[in-house]
Amino acid sequence: MTQTIDTNIYAAVTEAIQSEAQRILAAGEVTAIVGYAAARRKGSAQPIVITSADDAQKLIFTPACVNNLAVYLTKAKKEIPKSGRIGIVVKGCDLKALVGLMGESQLKREQLYLIGVPCAGVLASTIQPDTGLTSDSIAPKCRECDAHLPQGCDFVPSQTPVTPELEKKYAAEIARLEALTPQERWAYWKEQFSKCIKCYACRQVCPFCFCEQCLCDRNKPQMVDTTPRPAGNTAWHIVRAMHLAGRCAGCAECERVCPMDIPLNLLNRKMAKELKELYDYEAGFDVHDKGPLNSYTEKDDQSFIK
Amino acid sequence: MCDHSNKNIYLPYLATVEEVIDETPDVRTLRLVFQDEQLRDSFNFRAGQFAEYSAFGAGESTFCIASSPTRKGYIECCFRSVGRVTEELRRLEVGDSIGVRGPYGNSFPIEQFEGKNLVFVAGGIALPPLRTLIWNCLDLRERFGEITIVYGARTEADLVYKRELKEWEERGDVRLVKTVDPGGNGPEWDGRVGFVPTILEEAAPAAENTIALVCGPPIMIKFTLPVLEKLGFSDEQVYTTLENRMKCGLGKCGRCNVGNVYVCKDGPVFTAKQVKAMPMEF
Amino acid sequence: MQKHITEQNLNALLDKLIAEGKRVVAPRLNAGTPLYEPLKNSGEMITDQLPRRSGKEAFFPLCEDIMSYTKEGQKVELKDIDPARFPETVLVGVRPCDAAAIPVLDAVFSWDYKDEFFLERRKKTTIVGLACTKADDACFCTAVGLSPSDTKGSDLFLTPLEGGGYACETFSDKGETLVNNHAGLFSEPNNAKAVALAEPGTEAFDLKKVKAWLDEHFEDPAWDSIATRCVGCGACAFVCPACHCFDIVDEGTEKSGKRRKNWDACGFWKFTHHASGHNPRDQQPKRYRNRIMHKFKYYDDKFGQTLCTGCGRCIRLCPVGIDIAAIVEEISKK
Repeated sequence: MTQTIDTNIYAAVTEAIQSEAQRILAAGEVTAIVGYAAARRKGSAQPIVITSADDAQKLIFTPACVNNLAVYLTKAKKEIPKSGRIGIVVKGCDLKALVGLMGESQLKREQLYLIGVPCAGVLASTIQPDTGLTSDSIAPKCRECDAHLPQGCDFVPSQTPVTPELEKKYAAEIARLEALTPQERWAYWKEQFSKCIKCYACRQVCPFCFCEQCLCDRNKPQMVDTTPRPAGNTAWHIVRAMHLAGRCAGCAECERVCPMDIPLNLLNRKMAKELKELYDYEAGFDVHDKGPLNSYTEKDDQSFIK
Repeated sequence: MCDHSNKNIYLPYLATVEEVIDETPDVRTLRLVFQDEQLRDSFNFRAGQFAEYSAFGAGESTFCIASSPTRKGYIECCFRSVGRVTEELRRLEVGDSIGVRGPYGNSFPIEQFEGKNLVFVAGGIALPPLRTLIWNCLDLRERFGEITIVYGARTEADLVYKRELKEWEERGDVRLVKTVDPGGNGPEWDGRVGFVPTILEEAAPAAENTIALVCGPPIMIKFTLPVLEKLGFSDEQVYTTLENRMKCGLGKCGRCNVGNVYVCKDGPVFTAKQVKAMPMEF
Repeated sequence: MQKHITEQNLNALLDKLIAEGKRVVAPRLNAGTPLYEPLKNSGEMITDQLPRRSGKEAFFPLCEDIMSYTKEGQKVELKDIDPARFPETVLVGVRPCDAAAIPVLDAVFSWDYKDEFFLERRKKTTIVGLACTKADDACFCTAVGLSPSDTKGSDLFLTPLEGGGYACETFSDKGETLVNNHAGLFSEPNNAKAVALAEPGTEAFDLKKVKAWLDEHFEDPAWDSIATRCVGCGACAFVCPACHCFDIVDEGTEKSGKRRKNWDACGFWKFTHHASGHNPRDQQPKRYRNRIMHKFKYYDDKFGQTLCTGCGRCIRLCPVGIDIAAIVEEISKK
């Protein structure tokens, strides 16, 4: 049964973001703010970088504010000025990526002014942006959100989101896939990867894909075939999943932007599950110097050595 | 000999590497002979045109045809190994097979240069696109006025076609002014020392009835064009070639454009006037 | 020629074509994603969703082999592709925005050098367009001079009628041949009214004015504000019915392999990157500028048309909400 999700607080959240943005830009506390602005299509939003207090009124928060803006703070986005302190509007899920980037020495906390958003959820990728938020239209990642209220921000509007319990789709789907035989599972992923068109939208929106030059863009040697065919597609998605293991905290941007509906976040969630089981590690909550795959302790699981 | 018929325009001709010449430690010339005997005679091109050279398994790379159209039976290309394809091409030995697609692009309007003086200005690895024209003109020597070549590189070792530089120096009908950047000269160096634009200013012939042909790194072009202007050359008297990344060479794949100009079809040869009208996207 | 065909007979036509060994490509669901793909039977066709990718791939596939090589010692042998690659095809249920893009691509693949891969498929394909009944606010065909009932590019055009069936109109010999070869499935036109067609909300852009601005504003601060948000993926180009840039790569071993032609996108940093390290479009706004310039100026300079049919796919699928219709509208107001 379709359940309406209350997003009435978003109007007040928007106002609070605007006045805080206005204040910190006017006071010179930040040089720029990365946030969301309304776009042409009814109800739509898109990322915006503002540098003037006069533009603070452009900032909004709505169920269409789907992007993880952390990607704009990585070194992969050379077009965004990195001088001075930068403000950023973050949902709880986005904040986890920033936490990871701090742990990987990509960002320093003191360079950021975090405007946290009390978030009840955002829309799924294929939904028309002016649709109301319901249990049907909500993004799959929001169904299992554990960060409706971001922690440790410089500013968070005072509203509290109403967050009904929703069925966890990733957990169910992972359980389904785990129950398959390896052959069946392989057949499933083979079919999914065969849809890939190598547009690299998944890579380009990922906050953790900040390599100066992706392995897939290097050709000496050509590690991963560039054409959208089985060999190169499979190699790419496996490389991607492996590189994100222990780092990805589930913003699910890769899955949201995939024009071919490949369930990429399933791979990431499965890797996260493994990390939790093997090392009792969850990405995105604390700034760690080293993730579990970069460090060694005597307690590490060694059952794979046979 | 552009083949415009409806067949696989991406299929290269096969050629055999007949000779390998190391120009500098990382610049190599390959002399190629088409494996199809008929093609050896029928392959016609004009100075300035380019081709796509295949190292099978690595891909294709774009260079000008560096030999002169007046020299029949073979073609030459000259390249620096910097990428995946050029490194594979560098591994080719005498007798190995290579693919060639072309000739593509426009060419130097050599007929319009007849009766005129020519000054060639080249820097470093950019001599090959002019070398095709230089030999073309030298092989038809009586049709042209005075010929001057100003050629410079960072160091002596970076000069390409060293044997030919000697040949040009020894010929009485062409004036070669060779130079290396300050510090690039060894004890035996018998040329000039200084940057190409500076040397050109001293060595250039009078602008009247002269065509200047300029090829070099962007920085050299940037400082050479004002010198030519100062010497009285109009933008129509100055020719250069542009290089942009290419794949098809046929005006389809969409990456070599500078504004609405497709380097592979509208170029690679342009007058300074044409280049100045382009947006800064090269 | 004007005719009428019932839904049942249209399905019978498709099944008959499939039985004759023709490739019938139409919108169908692939694991839930609508795509133009070869049908196994007419029941697979869907008519209520715009496929995620455009119809161009019936002529210009995502990836195809263009030759193969084998090496033995110093000898190389090249093998041209098998012309059986290009079967007789009927492309059915094509939205006007997709059909209209095909003549636009003809210009690219046939000017000067002829690209047989595109043109042979083109020669052997009959395009059956279908009037569009459903638009969203990303659609803007009406803004670029087309409409939900535009027949550009179609050999045969179907308009759904109230009370069922389709009005059929032919626009080429290919369309007439298709009808004549299966005359029993078509009947004389009746005077049923067409169902309500889609009504995209956008007003026509003044494309001349847009081009005039682009002619003069290669350098403009607007490019930064438009495209700083662009993350540099290829989604917009890959779902576009008119984008046609491609890459050529070799894939294989020392001994043997294939040369392949696959879609490429001007949004990728690598697209114009020289092996030397130099990149003429070294920042994302410069790459995005090329996209707009190519669509609304460069292509027009060369072929006198616009390289955009207003399908809205790039707007719906851009990861960061870049809206080409909003951008062009803004330019038209400058």
